[in-house]
Amino acid sequence: MRQYFMGKGRVLKIYKVCRLIIVHALLIYTPCSLAVEVITHTDASVSLTQVKDLRAIFSMRLRYWPDGSKIRVFVLPDNNALHKKFVKEKLHMFPHQLRRTWDRMTYTGTGQPPVTVNSNAEMLEKIQNTPNAIGYIEINEANK
Amino acid sequence: MKIFTSLMLNKFFYVLFFLTFSLCAQAVDSELNLTETSWQQGLQKVWRDDIQFHGFLSQGLFSTTGNNIYGNSKNSVSAGLTEIGLNVSYQALNNLSFAVQGLYRRAGQRTGDWGEVSLDFAFVDLNFLNFRDGRMGVRGGRVKNPWGLYNETRDVAFTHPTISLPLTYFDRSRTLFLSMDGGQFYADYNTAIGVFSFKFNYGFIQADDPELLQSIVLDPNIPGHLESKSSFITHLSYETVDRDFMFAFSYADVRLTYIEHGGFDPYAGLEGEIDALMFSGQYNGERFSFTGEYSLHWNRMRGLMQDNSPVSEMWYVQAGYRVLDNLQIMLRYDSYVQNKYDKKGESFHANTGLPAHLMFTQDIVVGVRWDITPAWMLRAEYQRVHGASAVSLLDNPNIMDLALNWNVYALQLAFRF
Repeated sequence: MRQYFMGKGRVLKIYKVCRLIIVHALLIYTPCSLAVEVITHTDASVSLTQVKDLRAIFSMRLRYWPDGSKIRVFVLPDNNALHKKFVKEKLHMFPHQLRRTWDRMTYTGTGQPPVTVNSNAEMLEKIQNTPNAIGYIEINEANK
Repeated sequence: MKIFTSLMLNKFFYVLFFLTFSLCAQAVDSELNLTETSWQQGLQKVWRDDIQFHGFLSQGLFSTTGNNIYGNSKNSVSAGLTEIGLNVSYQALNNLSFAVQGLYRRAGQRTGDWGEVSLDFAFVDLNFLNFRDGRMGVRGGRVKNPWGLYNETRDVAFTHPTISLPLTYFDRSRTLFLSMDGGQFYADYNTAIGVFSFKFNYGFIQADDPELLQSIVLDPNIPGHLESKSSFITHLSYETVDRDFMFAFSYADVRLTYIEHGGFDPYAGLEGEIDALMFSGQYNGERFSFTGEYSLHWNRMRGLMQDNSPVSEMWYVQAGYRVLDNLQIMLRYDSYVQNKYDKKGESFHANTGLPAHLMFTQDIVVGVRWDITPAWMLRAEYQRVHGASAVSLLDNPNIMDLALNWNVYALQLAFRF
């Protein structure tokens, strides 16, 4: 939160601390050429090597990075193919299970669901421009 | 009636005020956009990230034989169930947030043709303990009651499997478990074997409900109303790590007292206490889902001419299959007996002369749900019903005419954001 109030140097500061960490540890090498990768924008030292942690983040149960800043979660719509792939491969869950958890918090006021973006491009743009963000993108396996 | 109208208006303005306030905040935010100072941009960002609006809307169509549901549906078509909700939540600090939801509901005679606006929840949430694997906190204000799997979001069509909720959530008992004016303690714990969640609500329910009162006394001419005494509802749930299985236990102790009207009221001194428990289990796989819930209510009514302290038993089993990711078919068998020691209502009929089927309901529901987009949903169902323990006595004022075997055909369109 501190970063928002840093005066004129803020933009530079954010670019300096901005690291687009691509988490490889969880990648499942599938024969198809397109894969889904978790991306984050944070300077907190995190290792998202456990499915449990990713699940906790995307079901909005783990809400803060280790440095105390609030995690900003971005997802694609429930019926998006990449979203389905992400939920199955990275969280080992199904989209309808996540939706149930989000709905319960949304309509009882006990939590806020992730922000839904409408395309891969918008996802990338949001993650790049939002400190403490986490999301996922489609990458070409051949380029890795 | 006058008091009632003004109360309703009060609630309405409260919600309106809150929404306007939040909208103003949003408007200010966009003006700030024009300026370049970075703290203002920072402020703008804080607003945009931390205030969220959500809502839902659903409209049902019902046609029945035998008995009415949600208005005049018998041998006709009723559009008597409309639910609209709008909420705003504001995460003010990392551990402090506010949430409020207004609800418009039109549900047959119970709410009248114009429906009712109510404050569904409005609370402050202080999350005083946060650690890597869990959290603990308190919420104060009006909070939803965690009762079984569906009660907290019972008015949000998207969150429950069929148009009509299972009988254990029957509409006549709606206000018993709907929400609590008071507080909630909550704790979540993520472990290697799954997620444990605990909630404890303490306070007062909205007991002033003619439907509830009539289901207790079975007398449409009762002059007074019910008031809540301090009550509690608690809920413990466990979800496996992969979220495939979920189990929950809920327990409630709700206490009511009758406020007499006028000098001579035969029901003066009526007191009620309802202790209830519910076991819930659910398997939620990729294609198949199975749900079962079992609940018992110990109803103790003091001050009635004849003893009315039945133990009610409700249970259902439900199966769902996702033909496609967005197309699901459902099947449910449901049972509700008002008095488990008089399952067929025979001694009730012998004692009161009222129809025995006021004491039980068994039904089978077949439904199909199509999630057209993540925001729009359409579903249809058929229900074969045996018994009348769950029908609204306001929609069916002529108790002697209640049908034993009847059918429900229903269609519902729902939207959410």
